[in-house]
Amino acid sequence: MSLDVNFVNPFVQGTIETLKIQCQIEVKPGKIYLKGKGPEIEVEIAGVIGLTSKSFSGSIAICFPEPIFLAIMSNMIGENYQTITHELEDGAGELLNIIFGFAKRVLNEKGYQIEKAIPTVVRGAGLEVKHLTATPTVVLPFETQYGIFHLEVGTEGQSIT
Amino acid sequence: MFPASTKTLVVDDMLTMRKIVRNCLKDLGLTHVTEASDGQQAWVEIEKADATDEPYEFIVSDWNMPNMNGLDLLKKVRADEKIKSIPFILLTAEAEKSQVLEAVNAGVSGYVVKPFTPAVFTEKIKAVYSNAGKK
Repeated sequence: MSLDVNFVNPFVQGTIETLKIQCQIEVKPGKIYLKGKGPEIEVEIAGVIGLTSKSFSGSIAICFPEPIFLAIMSNMIGENYQTITHELEDGAGELLNIIFGFAKRVLNEKGYQIEKAIPTVVRGAGLEVKHLTATPTVVLPFETQYGIFHLEVGTEGQSIT
Repeated sequence: MFPASTKTLVVDDMLTMRKIVRNCLKDLGLTHVTEASDGQQAWVEIEKADATDEPYEFIVSDWNMPNMNGLDLLKKVRADEKIKSIPFILLTAEAEKSQVLEAVNAGVSGYVVKPFTPAVFTEKIKAVYSNAGKK
């Protein structure tokens, strides 16, 4: 699979920086693959944000199994969480918001003209985020000491593979 | 540093981030904190405080929020004669140069880009307080 690294790398860097600075967690990016063609994780909570530009559109999702999300949130807020409460849920959206802000800045310096957006959060056992794009969705896995979460990037009009 | 009694307004549509900011402020001794989930709700709080003659003395706001964003809230605060000098920090994931410039031109007191460590946020608060005292 060939990949537009110019487009994907800012999301990888944004995730590394955000987890390191905001949550004090080191993450190791794994091998990128197309959705459905690689390892799956049990997603129980996800932040989703729309991607809008003059020349393309799409969506990005950050997807967590519950135990990984709880560990990350506990680090981020500095309190110990054992269950995903209502007050904790939007943490998935906030993490994606920060990663998106980082990537948007880098990509817009290269002329991608990505617009601001506000994330939403979805939650449920065995969750699957469907990106309504004709092009394949790319999965960016990240390994932490607590386990693996991933970012999904789906675009229309801008091929990233 | 801001006195412990400083009446502070924290504005962010994300409850998680409001909690993080509140914890940082608490570590600095600032516990007289009210939260709002967007600029519109924040403005209601500001007007209520004005009406009781106990105005807010410090505002920390996100930029990207529904209803009214942080930049528009900042402009509204700076346009109001009674509260135009309130120290106002934008704490935001928006990091493009043009946006920072827009905020500076609108009269922001300090700008912190997410992700941030508590140490960075604390230093910014101290700098804003120090500058506010010189005006």
